[in-house]
Amino acid sequence: MDVKYDVLELRNRGYSMSEEDSIIARNLRKIYSTYLRKGLIKRERQEVHALKGVSFSVKRGEVFGLLGPNGAGKTTTVKILSTLLLPDGGEARILGFDVVKDASKVRKLIGVSLTVEKGFFWKLTGRENLTYFGMLYGLDGQELRASVQQCLELVGLTSLGVADKLYEEYSLGMKARLSIARALITDPEVLILDEPTLGLDPPSARTLRELLVELAHKKGKTVLVTTHNMFEAEILCDRVAIINEGKIVALDEVEKLKRRLAGKVSLEIIAAPPAKVPVTSLIETVRSLIGAPSKAFPENGLVRLKVVQPLERVEETTSRVLDILHRKGCKIRRVEVKEPNLEDVFIHLTGRKGF
Amino acid sequence: MALRTLFKSGVVLDIYFFKNNRSAFLFTLIWPYLTLTLIIGMGYLFGSAESFKQNVGVSVDPLMYFIASTLATMVSLDVMWGIGGSVLEHRWIGTLPYILLSPNRTSITLVLTYIPRYLLNAGIQLAEFAPLIFVVEGFYGGLFRLSIVILAITLGMLPLLGFSALFTSFLLSIKEESNVLGWLNPLILLFSGAFYPAYLLPRWARIISKALPSTYTIELARLSAIIGSPELRKITLLIGALVAMSVIYNSASGLLIQAGERKAMRKGAI
Repeated sequence: MDVKYDVLELRNRGYSMSEEDSIIARNLRKIYSTYLRKGLIKRERQEVHALKGVSFSVKRGEVFGLLGPNGAGKTTTVKILSTLLLPDGGEARILGFDVVKDASKVRKLIGVSLTVEKGFFWKLTGRENLTYFGMLYGLDGQELRASVQQCLELVGLTSLGVADKLYEEYSLGMKARLSIARALITDPEVLILDEPTLGLDPPSARTLRELLVELAHKKGKTVLVTTHNMFEAEILCDRVAIINEGKIVALDEVEKLKRRLAGKVSLEIIAAPPAKVPVTSLIETVRSLIGAPSKAFPENGLVRLKVVQPLERVEETTSRVLDILHRKGCKIRRVEVKEPNLEDVFIHLTGRKGF
Repeated sequence: MALRTLFKSGVVLDIYFFKNNRSAFLFTLIWPYLTLTLIIGMGYLFGSAESFKQNVGVSVDPLMYFIASTLATMVSLDVMWGIGGSVLEHRWIGTLPYILLSPNRTSITLVLTYIPRYLLNAGIQLAEFAPLIFVVEGFYGGLFRLSIVILAITLGMLPLLGFSALFTSFLLSIKEESNVLGWLNPLILLFSGAFYPAYLLPRWARIISKALPSTYTIELARLSAIIGSPELRKITLLIGALVAMSVIYNSASGLLIQAGERKAMRKGAI
């Protein structure tokens, strides 16, 4: 769909917008109200500031990643951009159209996938589901049939031979593919995908990532993905914004973000704690000892610890951590020092304990 | 976007659903007869057909009376909770956000995609009872009564759609996952005159009864059973009431469902 909008008018209103920008978010704010029950009847209203002024823009034909831990505000941002949630402040535009005032125009321009494990009718086949949603979004007749077939082929469901199988028989990978197919059914300019590879096995995730890159770089679609998988963001996204506690803490190309850690290295220690030692308390002890941005979490009964810090301090930190792990009776499985990756950038910027 | 396509999407969904769910289709067929059998069975517990005629005050076949009542009551219930029920269903299976992503207004999308299911259910029930009506009333008598029932449930659908949309806007706005207003069902049926004719209700209940569109649908359908010859004036009055209520409820619901949707979108309930 050819969309014309007045870049100059938007610039006058304070947008740093170019004709290349497909998505613009400017100072987005969102507050959720929750209620804390106090007794049988009484309850106390509490406010959760999910977004505290999020701003970014996404260029046409770009794969843009919104990275962050659970609860950082990724899904809230995605829902606002998809016209499913109203912001409490700020503005967002898709191809020049305001997501609140021009919601119905925006809906014609976007393809959305919010979850990969549900969102379809279980007693319908993949093809029937796509046909239904295609009609709901305005397609009909030959155009609809062609689009359904094309999308099923594009995501590989026809080659897997499952396009005409019931959705309830699909694996998670197939469901994810169908979810992307639905997002593509109207051939939208902009794709907004919330954790599109969550829970997928590595081959399925890789196939999906390749598809998204192809859609952006070969077909000129704008792709916004959220993920908390740093590896995925690193290989998939042209640019990433790291969001933490409702704020964008960094936004750049992956390589440029990694350059921010020039002179620093990533130390990774994997240890097996004895059964009697609670993993969470062990993690807390070690992290309080380090005093530097770190990430530590249990992983298959092991403790995985990552620390980002200047090269000259690595030896000292390593010996201190190993010392306490030994004293707690842990067996050291691996100690590794390497160049920082995107995950380390995230740790450095947020100092978060886990994802 | 063509509203025809939106309506068609509802038809397609039902066809696919029943094609892949033979058991659901079978129960849809059985359900009206189960209800009718239950109502007639209970009726006979309290007295014979003759005593029924005496109580109602006119010479009418109880079977015809109950068929008309069952049809009107079931389709009224279907439509009253249908749209709200579909919203709950969409919420459970996670399709609600994708339904709302349709470029049309939410109220239009929900209503137009629901109407095929209503028409299908009503059509099935009419088709099922038609032979029985023809056996009881003969061909021409049956045709006449069937026409009145069709008119009643078609016209009755219009205000009830608005009524259902009001319920839907409430469900959308309160982040609710279950039919929290389900308890109203028996009360609405009572006030609508489904169990006892509305004129037998106490005065305060008759006021509520007059505000419910289902009252007029049920009354119009029953009229086809009770009257020996067409009481055109009464039928016209009832049709007028249904049309007026269509305008009132649908205008109100159009605004309220938008308000409900905005509230849900502000709360993050979608």
